[in-house]
Amino acid sequence: MHRYLRFPFMLASFLVAVACHAATEQTLTTEDDLGPQVQQPIEFPHYRHAGNRNPVDPTNSDPTKGGMEINCQYCHTYARRSLTAGIPPLQKCVGCHQNIPTVRDKPRIVELFKYWDAKKAIPWKKVHDLPDFVRFNHERHIKRFIEQQGRPVQEVCGYCHGQVKEMVTARRQKPITMGWCVSCHMKEHVVVAKGAIPEGGTPIGKQDYWYTFQKPAETRNAEGELTAKGPNDCWLCHK
Amino acid sequence: MIDSESTKNLSGQAFDRRDFLKVLGFGGTAVALSGCGNTSIEDGKETVVSYVEAKDYVIPGVAVYFNSTCAQCDAGCSITGKIREGRVLKLEGNPESSINRGKLCGLGQASVQHHYNPDRVREPLLRNGDKGQAISWEKAYELINEKLQGAKGEEVAFITGDVSGHQKVLLTNYIDSLGSKNHFVYEAVAPAVVRAGNLKSYGVEMPRYRIDKAKVVLSFGADFLGTWISPVHFAQQYAAFRKGVDGQRGVLIQAESKMTLTGANADRWLAVRPGTEGILALGIINALGIATGDVAELVKDYDRARVSRDTGVEPSNIDKIAAILRLRSPSLILAGSAAEGYVHGMQNADAINLLNHVLGNVGKTIEAPVSVPFPQLTQTKGNTASLKKLNDDLAAGKYKVLFNIATNPVYTAPASYKYGDSMAKAGFKVAFAHYLDETALQADLVLPLDSEMEDWGTHVPEYLADTAQINIQQPLMERLHANTRGMGDILLTLVKQRKPEEYKAFDDYYGYLRYAMLQNKAALGGSGDDDVFWNDTLSKGIVKLSGASGALSAKAAVEGLKLPQPEEADKQYPLRLIPSVTSNLRDGRHTNQPWIQESPDPLTTIVWDSWVEVHPKKALELGIVEGDIVKVTSKTGSVNVQVYVFPGIHPEAVSIPMGRGHEAMGRYAKGYGVNPFGIMDAVFEGSTGELAMHETRVNIAKTGQRVIVVKDEGPAGGKQMGRRVALSRSTDQVDLSKEV
Repeated sequence: MHRYLRFPFMLASFLVAVACHAATEQTLTTEDDLGPQVQQPIEFPHYRHAGNRNPVDPTNSDPTKGGMEINCQYCHTYARRSLTAGIPPLQKCVGCHQNIPTVRDKPRIVELFKYWDAKKAIPWKKVHDLPDFVRFNHERHIKRFIEQQGRPVQEVCGYCHGQVKEMVTARRQKPITMGWCVSCHMKEHVVVAKGAIPEGGTPIGKQDYWYTFQKPAETRNAEGELTAKGPNDCWLCHK
Repeated sequence: MIDSESTKNLSGQAFDRRDFLKVLGFGGTAVALSGCGNTSIEDGKETVVSYVEAKDYVIPGVAVYFNSTCAQCDAGCSITGKIREGRVLKLEGNPESSINRGKLCGLGQASVQHHYNPDRVREPLLRNGDKGQAISWEKAYELINEKLQGAKGEEVAFITGDVSGHQKVLLTNYIDSLGSKNHFVYEAVAPAVVRAGNLKSYGVEMPRYRIDKAKVVLSFGADFLGTWISPVHFAQQYAAFRKGVDGQRGVLIQAESKMTLTGANADRWLAVRPGTEGILALGIINALGIATGDVAELVKDYDRARVSRDTGVEPSNIDKIAAILRLRSPSLILAGSAAEGYVHGMQNADAINLLNHVLGNVGKTIEAPVSVPFPQLTQTKGNTASLKKLNDDLAAGKYKVLFNIATNPVYTAPASYKYGDSMAKAGFKVAFAHYLDETALQADLVLPLDSEMEDWGTHVPEYLADTAQINIQQPLMERLHANTRGMGDILLTLVKQRKPEEYKAFDDYYGYLRYAMLQNKAALGGSGDDDVFWNDTLSKGIVKLSGASGALSAKAAVEGLKLPQPEEADKQYPLRLIPSVTSNLRDGRHTNQPWIQESPDPLTTIVWDSWVEVHPKKALELGIVEGDIVKVTSKTGSVNVQVYVFPGIHPEAVSIPMGRGHEAMGRYAKGYGVNPFGIMDAVFEGSTGELAMHETRVNIAKTGQRVIVVKDEGPAGGKQMGRRVALSRSTDQVDLSKEV
């Protein structure tokens, strides 16, 4: 290396290092952190299935003008029943699409039926991957936010998966790292005891059980509301 | 990235401030780059394959459970398999079964390793010189048919292990259809002398033992906690026995020449001179002093001085046993396989069973067996006499076609049989096998079998606990390998070759099984809809039957009971060889399951190798220490094996465990340890013709080599840790014999 290049190079390295450090530091927000655009065997249009309806034309005759607002859980049916969300069986796609003749000749659907006729599974690529030593449980999060607190499905799924309803094939939008998970679990959330709102109980308050070994410590915020942190036992994810 | 000058600096030259910054800069960059933006693990790399069509109950990540039957031994424990994403992961006992009541032993747990074993045979193989050539199933069936055309019925022979249920019915029909009467049922470690002894003493081959009802159990070498008949069941009875009847903790006394797992759990363990168990039993009857009539006449010469001299058991111990047996009733006396591996094994069994009669235990702690309403489904019981007969016939060249169904006699026959050579005289040898074991390697045609987790079947175990039951075996998952077949399916295809009309309605064994069960729906306790009954049966995994239990003969069988005097020690071969049955290896059919190899032997904690147990006194006499490689020589042959000095063995005996020393079978079995069958003399029990396993006499001689015994316990294990064994080499290259 030429001697006169040393300083600029070192300076550049240093700046890159600082920049990267800043980028990897987990803030307590859920900023976007886009993953790679993954090539899938079929370019599945999430926006078309889950996207918002076109307010002007709610019948959706034109695919470019809006989605169908299909509940995420209609296809990702395992998420509320299991640790893993799974991928819908091919049968699910075909179940609807054999009754939709209008799009039958579209290249993606033609491809879909090729797999179906051969009774072959589609080799989807994993978009959200966790290390093997992490056991993330979809079911619990859905029970908590959708069933107990009655929040909208797309919002809840979006906490971790981002705005899938605006994507074609899904792309990772959140960091999905431990620090990022903990950033949410460390927040003081307002606790609504079961019974106060019939549909919106939480794991604390008058609940019969907790998801953790210990009942989370309860505190009161400035408004005097009861708050507590989410479960944060190591064991919860690292069995 | 680091240039030559920086390297030079790093390697020890003086650092100035600029160099320091430089290194810091590069290092920081490297760390940051590796962390930057690379937060997820394998986004977009791994494939997630979804189902094409999924059953409603299939949820990824959530296990489903199916009931089936364990096939690792013949106890017939019912199991519940955990299946996730179509793969069996773990087995547990099925609580509904009265045999194992929700428990499962280590051997049963290891059966998933049988299923997923990398050494399973995957294609039908036809011998082509020294090689096996993969052929199609159609061609294999055709070949069998063709070979059978050229053979008369009496020229066809079958050798199988214990067989029961509908598979037995099909097999019997097939053998009949060939006009053959040569079905040899062979089990290397079957309790055949126990059965014969029981039949003589109690009128039934296999009564129900009630250890849980007994207050004292005196066991003559019956390892009921480890290997004897139905160990999981007996272990639960044992737990109840130890809790006690009326709050009185049961007392277990074990008399045997080599300590078994049960012996290690006993309150008092007596080292008996090999073969004198019967004398001890008669001595105890004498000491009890409650016998009358011909029994009293029989035992009158067995006073404690003589018995003590013959058996090596101290007179005070005989008195103590007699005292506790007098004090606590009912008791239970067990005659185990170890007492019966002698020429006079039956006499031993008779003498021991006589003790039960004298103490009035028959009918109390020995109950009549439950009878199975379908005699055609009951177990055909294996023994070793059948192998002797088959071997003689084969050697005489009587058979043109030999079917070997999942047994391995080339490995388990005593070397003096020369079974391999005899087998070679059969014209066409078909082996139905899971592995290319010693026997399959000698066959002309090897047909790969499904594992018990891929196959359909029914089993009726020999030892039934509370009620008669038919155990259902059903696939826990799809076949791992496309070209293996279930034994039932193979038999159905073969029998169709003979009787196409009779069996044309059945496409496969499943169809046959379902039909056969539904035919007897009412007798099996079912009613209503066929599908409901069938689904119910499959989900339970057990069909419980009401069967009356028979009666036991109350009269003691004293006639012809005459025990020989213990023999004087042979000068050339002064020691007895006790080939021990261990709870995980048994007769060696499971040795290729690595969990079995790596789980420490319960008594010595040795793993992955054989050993010979030598009493410390004997070891001192011969100048042997633990780890010495000795040559154990019998009239038949010799093996070199490491010594384990063990006080739980009679000084006049040495013991080598069975099951290791395979020459084939698979990567986890081949070449580990030695095979005691290889040095066993062909001596037979007098009245049953069973192989007398404990009659082999050996001598041992040092070879001068010494190794570190690889085991879990003891100071040697500790020393091993501190000794820095071969740190310079990887573990597979370490020769422990050179490290000491």
